[in-house]
Amino acid sequence: MSTATALTDHETKLAALIIEALNLEMAPQEIDPGAPLYREGLGLDSIDILEIALVISKTYGVQLKADDTDNVRIFGSLRSLNDHVQQHRAK
Amino acid sequence: MNTATQTWTTQPERSNMVALRIIVWVALHLGRTTARLLLHPICLYFLLFSIATRRASRAWLERVLERPVTWVDQFRHYHTFASTILDRVFLLNDRFDLFDLEVHGMEAMTEVCEARTGCFLVGAHFGSFEVTRAVGRMQPGLEVSLLMYEVNAPRIGAIIRAINPALGNKIIPLGALDSMLRVRERLDAGEFVGMLADRRLGDEESVTIPFFGVPAKFPAGPFRLAALLRRPIVLMFGIHRGGNRYEVHYERIAVDGDLTRLAMRYAQRLEHHARSAPYNWFNFHDFWQ
Repeated sequence: MSTATALTDHETKLAALIIEALNLEMAPQEIDPGAPLYREGLGLDSIDILEIALVISKTYGVQLKADDTDNVRIFGSLRSLNDHVQQHRAK
Repeated sequence: MNTATQTWTTQPERSNMVALRIIVWVALHLGRTTARLLLHPICLYFLLFSIATRRASRAWLERVLERPVTWVDQFRHYHTFASTILDRVFLLNDRFDLFDLEVHGMEAMTEVCEARTGCFLVGAHFGSFEVTRAVGRMQPGLEVSLLMYEVNAPRIGAIIRAINPALGNKIIPLGALDSMLRVRERLDAGEFVGMLADRRLGDEESVTIPFFGVPAKFPAGPFRLAALLRRPIVLMFGIHRGGNRYEVHYERIAVDGDLTRLAMRYAQRLEHHARSAPYNWFNFHDFWQ
């Protein structure tokens, strides 16, 4: 385990959801909460981002929109994605 | 020719762009009849000087025609390609009066259009994509957005906007983080999203499917996306049959969550039509590479 910071409970839950949705072969703790999700970092593509958006909508009721100018920041890391979800969650 | 990607994103795309610009200019200023006359010298020029493209054209025709290929065959291949580029200019402007269109399977389009569920329109670099999109637009209330690599061919997008500005925002550029979020939003709004599913970009994930009896790599992305979103899929093929004649085919295929099965259904139909119209094949690189 090389991650400098440990995941919070919410981050762990979100990481587990992402791992399950994308069939990634890793444990939530192996995701660096500060690393980018798209391309470098976790190496996800835009279809993976869509899968994440779908599972977030289902689980938290948070809609991630294409026209949000903050998308690059929101998907900038697991931490920022989780912060966004926690701020906007409806369930 | 290192990789399939390099082949189509760099070399042919560049020379094709020069041809495209010349053809668009002539079409807009001199009309279709004059422009068609000019296609002969233009094709001859490219036939003589585009060596890699000529080699790819020959390899393709030999495989499909199963006989020795002549310069006449190759000229016809180039001419078909150039004709569809030229006609694109007029189709973008809805000049249906210029064409003799034979449409098969329009009921598939009507059906999905009425259901308002959104739909994927899946085509290939085969024949005229523009004619299928243009005919689709004849359906009242139908909106088609086109998913494309604007990064690779930004000028194609610019040319489309120059010809018909209303269509400019109908391009969803690939390669952005939220490209697919945009696709879903367009589908949710009941729109059609068109994509060409026969070419890969870079080290894009692929799915290997028998094509003309030989395993070929198709991009996995379009089929992953379709399997994930489970919207209806209509295949579209716009075949140029010479002169002003086009044959448009819309074919709805069964959708499930298995991307390999989807890719196989697509490849089977593409093979069927490519066999019936080999000169409409516009992948000027080694497809089986």
